Amino acid sequence: MSQLSLKHLEKSFNDARIIKGIDLEVSEGEFVVFVGPSGCGKSTLLRMIAGLEDVSEGEIAISGKVVNDLPPVQRGIAMVFQSYALYPHMSVYENIAFPLRVEKLPQPEVDKRVGAAAKVLQLESRLQHRPGQLSGGQRQRVAIGRAIVRQPKIFLFDEPLSNLDAALRSEMRIELMELHKRLGSTMIYVTHDQVEAMTMADKIVVLDAGTIAQVGSPLDLYHRPDNIFVAGFIGSPKMNFINGRVRAANGSTVVVDLGQLGIIELPRTSTSVAGQDVTLGIRPEHLKLGAGQFTLTITPNIVEQLGIHSITYATLPGGEAFTGLFEGNPDLVDGKPIELSFPIASAHLFDSKGLAVY
Amino acid sequence: MSDVARTTEVAAVDSPALVKPQRKVKARSTRAMIDRYQWYEVVALYAGIAVFLFFVLAPFIEGFLVSLKPLAQLFSTPYSFIPKNGSFDAYFNMWNSVPLLGLYIFNSFFISTIVTLIVVAVVVPAAYAFARFNFAGAGLLLGMFLAVNMFSGAVLLIPLFRLMRGLGLLNTYFAMIVPGAAFLIPSSIWLLRTYMLRIPRELDEAAWVDGASRLYTLRRVILPLAMPGIVVVAIMTFIGAYAQQFIFALTFNSKSEFMPLPVGLFAFFGKQEVQWNELMAASFVGILPVMVVIVFLQRYLVAGLTAGAVKQ
Repeated sequence: MSQLSLKHLEKSFNDARIIKGIDLEVSEGEFVVFVGPSGCGKSTLLRMIAGLEDVSEGEIAISGKVVNDLPPVQRGIAMVFQSYALYPHMSVYENIAFPLRVEKLPQPEVDKRVGAAAKVLQLESRLQHRPGQLSGGQRQRVAIGRAIVRQPKIFLFDEPLSNLDAALRSEMRIELMELHKRLGSTMIYVTHDQVEAMTMADKIVVLDAGTIAQVGSPLDLYHRPDNIFVAGFIGSPKMNFINGRVRAANGSTVVVDLGQLGIIELPRTSTSVAGQDVTLGIRPEHLKLGAGQFTLTITPNIVEQLGIHSITYATLPGGEAFTGLFEGNPDLVDGKPIELSFPIASAHLFDSKGLAVY
Repeated sequence: MSDVARTTEVAAVDSPALVKPQRKVKARSTRAMIDRYQWYEVVALYAGIAVFLFFVLAPFIEGFLVSLKPLAQLFSTPYSFIPKNGSFDAYFNMWNSVPLLGLYIFNSFFISTIVTLIVVAVVVPAAYAFARFNFAGAGLLLGMFLAVNMFSGAVLLIPLFRLMRGLGLLNTYFAMIVPGAAFLIPSSIWLLRTYMLRIPRELDEAAWVDGASRLYTLRRVILPLAMPGIVVVAIMTFIGAYAQQFIFALTFNSKSEFMPLPVGLFAFFGKQEVQWNELMAASFVGILPVMVVIVFLQRYLVAGLTAGAVKQ
């Protein structure tokens, strides 16, 4: 049975529809990441699950019980805020103990639970400090500690790492994943960073303008994006898109005319795309130097050498930006044309509506 | 010689290339560059402060000097500012010339304290509501509060008098407390509301998620963080109540046992002469409780500021 289920969930502020019908099932112990560009409604969706925003339409059920009208504490959730929302006038101990004080638990029980949380989060030596005396990562851990002590069924994280610097962010990412393993509870995590989504999630929910663009495991989304939005959003650097037109679609292959770049034949069973304008997608990392199954020549205008790999930026004859990512430090110079290729199997095809063609 | 100078010398010995700049380093200051001043700038700063302070405090200085002089000396020509054979006699005699003086001082203090308590008790929940809840008419109400502030109490004295008479409140403490509190509440709501708006809403939300009720959140989270703002409101109200009680007492009260100090001081205006020296002495003794309150509250102000100043 799924632990959290959203049915036709909608949210409007006055006339603006922010969430436009979301259906989602989350099973127990899953690490689910909501990802999407700013303004796609991912934080609103999380706040609706938390009980901080009213539901306009549809229902939210936790462990089979509809919780639309329950306050957060009765939903069995705990939330970690982007700004951590620590109480600056209380010690770390009191911050973590806050939910227990609200419940009016006896002091020995409070001591026990706060002690346990502090041990998990390595905050034992910090319990008497004020949040202001802590580093960003430690504040983050205090906020998580406050969520842990309630022993909630579901943890909600609202972009918890976005206030940290890059080094600390990857460190905290690993800590969060370890925490998820140790506690085994369901976690729902909102981020705009697709790297966080890819590394942490069991299941990614890509949101686009209030609707779910695709749900799936990180590798699913990477290898089989349902649409052009997901294809462009997942992966870094971004997937290249080349405009083309379908010459023929006979049920086993689709022949796409890419203009000056030539003609490519893809194994696709769809026949409905015949004559349509389509988009060919190819990830920068699937490009190889030298000739291959499909070969094209580009002239990079910028080359970035990162040591582990090199990235080239070029513009195609059709005007599309084209990025290439190559292992190591091959001999690439801006302004010098290079020949590169990709295997037909790694190309993606999207129809005129932006949906993937298989 | 300061530490800076010594470390520079050590550094200079360590690296010969640095010997030359050594001459330029002034041993004087360990302050940041932006806080360093030349000697004449420091003199100018203090001179400016002295002029300003003298300007503000001159009436107090003169008042204090008058309180030390015997009455005869006050009318001598040429007038001398410095008291000759000055004494603190006036501070003892005043209690005999005006036997109710102690009561006047108490009344002033009492009225201001009650006004402050009422204002704080009303303003804290009101400011929280205006800062956090979206309710119909919130903007209109705030605008009306601002409009009320544009009328001074003096303009409304006649209607207030009729109101007090109708309610039978003339010649009671209420006559001085109620209008005093009413005129001080609107501006305090504005002040504290602005302060509370600066407390991040996420703190309320976090407490709500953790199961706290609105009132619990107000008590455990918002009040401690808003304490500096509340203390400012309390100080401003106390001073405001102290200053404005004169006009209400003069109009709504004719019983000398309820008189606050500013009106009570008229008792020093005798039939033949005004006891200026005792009047001044009484004024200073009367201000004393206010000073004590402000000094006391100011410590909380500073303590509250450091507690609330934590970066979110």
